[in-house]
Amino acid sequence: MIEFRNVSKKYETGTEAIHNINFKINKGEFAFLVGSSGSGKSTIIKLILKEEEPTSGNIIINGKDTTFLKPSRVPFLRRSMGIVFQDFRLLPDKTVYENVAFAMYVVRATPKHIRRQVPMVLSLVGLANKAKVYPNELSGGEQQRVALARAIVNNPSMLIADEPTGNLDPNTAWDIMELLNDINLRGTTVVVATHAKDIVDKMNKRVIRIDKGNIVRDEKGGYDEV
Amino acid sequence: MRFNVVSYLIKEGFKSTFKQKKMTGASIIIMCATMFIFGLFFVIGENVNSVITQIESQQGIQIFIDEDATDAEIETLGNQIRAIPGVNRATFVSKEDALNSMKTTLGDESLFEGWDEENPFPASYFVTLTDLSLNEQVQSEILALDNVDEIQSENTTINRLQSLANGIQITTIIILILLIIISIFIISYTIKLTVHARRREISIMKYVGATNGFIRGPFVVEGVIIGVISAIITLVILGIAYNAVMNSIGDSVLLQEMGFGLLSFSEMFYLVLGVYLILGVGIGVLGSAISMRKYLKV
Repeated sequence: MIEFRNVSKKYETGTEAIHNINFKINKGEFAFLVGSSGSGKSTIIKLILKEEEPTSGNIIINGKDTTFLKPSRVPFLRRSMGIVFQDFRLLPDKTVYENVAFAMYVVRATPKHIRRQVPMVLSLVGLANKAKVYPNELSGGEQQRVALARAIVNNPSMLIADEPTGNLDPNTAWDIMELLNDINLRGTTVVVATHAKDIVDKMNKRVIRIDKGNIVRDEKGGYDEV
Repeated sequence: MRFNVVSYLIKEGFKSTFKQKKMTGASIIIMCATMFIFGLFFVIGENVNSVITQIESQQGIQIFIDEDATDAEIETLGNQIRAIPGVNRATFVSKEDALNSMKTTLGDESLFEGWDEENPFPASYFVTLTDLSLNEQVQSEILALDNVDEIQSENTTINRLQSLANGIQITTIIILILLIIISIFIISYTIKLTVHARRREISIMKYVGATNGFIRGPFVVEGVIIGVISAIITLVILGIAYNAVMNSIGDSVLLQEMGFGLLSFSEMFYLVLGVYLILGVGIGVLGSAISMRKYLKV
C-alpha cells in the first residue's frame, strides 16, 4: 500500500531530513509515525502526499511507483488518500455540511451522490445534528471530526493524519483516535504522525519511530519500548 | 454533471470578483482608460482608411496614348491595363471627349474655335485603383506597355494619405501592445489578491485531489468578467464620445467641401465590440493564468 525504498530527502537549504528510509505499510494496517519535532515525520507525510519529491529512492503507493508520476496525475493520486491536519483546515465561511460536500464537489461527484454520502459520513463521525453549523461554533474535537468526515467522504483507500490530536485536550484526543480506529476497522489503511505518547501506548499498534532522519524502531507496541 | 461543474465555476468566479470590490473597480477603471485610448486611435484609423477608400474610387491615373496609335492598338492597350493587378477601372477618353470636357470646364466655347479640326488633346485612359498603395507599381507596369506616351497622377496626395494611414496604424499597434501589458499586469495583480485570500481553500482543494484546471477555473472566470465588463463600459463611453465629436465637426464646411463622409459609430459598432471582447477575454485569461502560476505548485 505505502512502501519507501531507500528514500532520502535533502532540502535545498542543505539539511537532510530523512536518510535512506525503508518501510512498508500494508493494506488495512494502522501505523503510528512517531518522533520529536524535526525528526523527519512531516517530511515522510509530505513525501507520501507527493508535496515533496525524494532526493533519491522510490515511493510506491497502491502498487505504483510515484517517483515519476506526472504532475497532472498527482490530483488523482491524492484522491486515493484522505488527509487530516493538526489545524483542521476547515473553510470558515462554509457550514459543516458544505465543508464535507466541498471535497466531493471538487472531484466532480454527482449532486445525487453528494446528497447521499455527506449525511452518512457526518453520522459516522457523530455530527449528524451539526450539519448546518459553521466551524467556529464547534469545539476543537468537533472541528477535527468534520475534517475526518471530509477526509473519508470520497472513500479513500488510506487515511493520512498529521498530528491530528495536537490541538486537542486528552479526552477529545482519545475520541478522535477511537474514530480513526473505527475507520481502520472498516478497511481503510491509517497512518498517524504524532508525538502523543499516552495515546500511542494505549492503542498498542505498529509504531515506526524516526530519529534524526532514520528509522530507529519499527514494531508493534508503545511509544518508548525498545 | 458537466453543466453542474460549469455553473459552479461561474458562480465562484462572480463571487470572488465582487468580494474584492475596490481592486476589481480599480482594475476595471484602468482597463477602461487604456482600452478607451486604444479605441480612439482605432476609430480614427478606421476613418482614415475609409477616406482613403473613398479617394481611391475618385483618384485616378491619366494615361496619355501615343498620337499615332491605331484604334486596334488603343483597344489592346485598354485590355492590357485592365489586366494589371490593382486596377479597378480603365475608362477610354477620346480626343473629342477631352476637348469637350475642357470646354465645359472653362465654360467659353469661343476660345476653342477651330480646335475641332486640329484637336491638340491626346486620347487617354482614366484608370482608378483598388488599392492606393499599389499606385507606383501599377504606374511602372503601365509605362512598360506599348503606345503609352505619358502618365499623370497626383502622387503626392496619395503618398501623404498613405503615410498618414501607416502612421496611425503603427501608433494603434503600439498602444495596443501597451494596453495588453498594462491590463494583464493589473488583472493578474487583482486576481492574486483573490487567490491569496482563498489560499486556504486552494490548498484544501489540492489535498482532496482537485485538478489544477478545476482550481484555476473560478479565477479565469474572474479575469474574464473584469475584461468583459471593462470592454462593455469602454464601448459605451467611446460611442458617446464619438457621437459628440461627430455632431460638432460632422457637418463642418471643410469636410463637406472635400466630399468625404466620416463613419458613424453604428457602422463600426460590431467591429469595435468584437475587438474589445477579444481583448477583454484574452487579457482576462492571460492575467489569471499568470497570477495562478505560483499557487498551483505543490
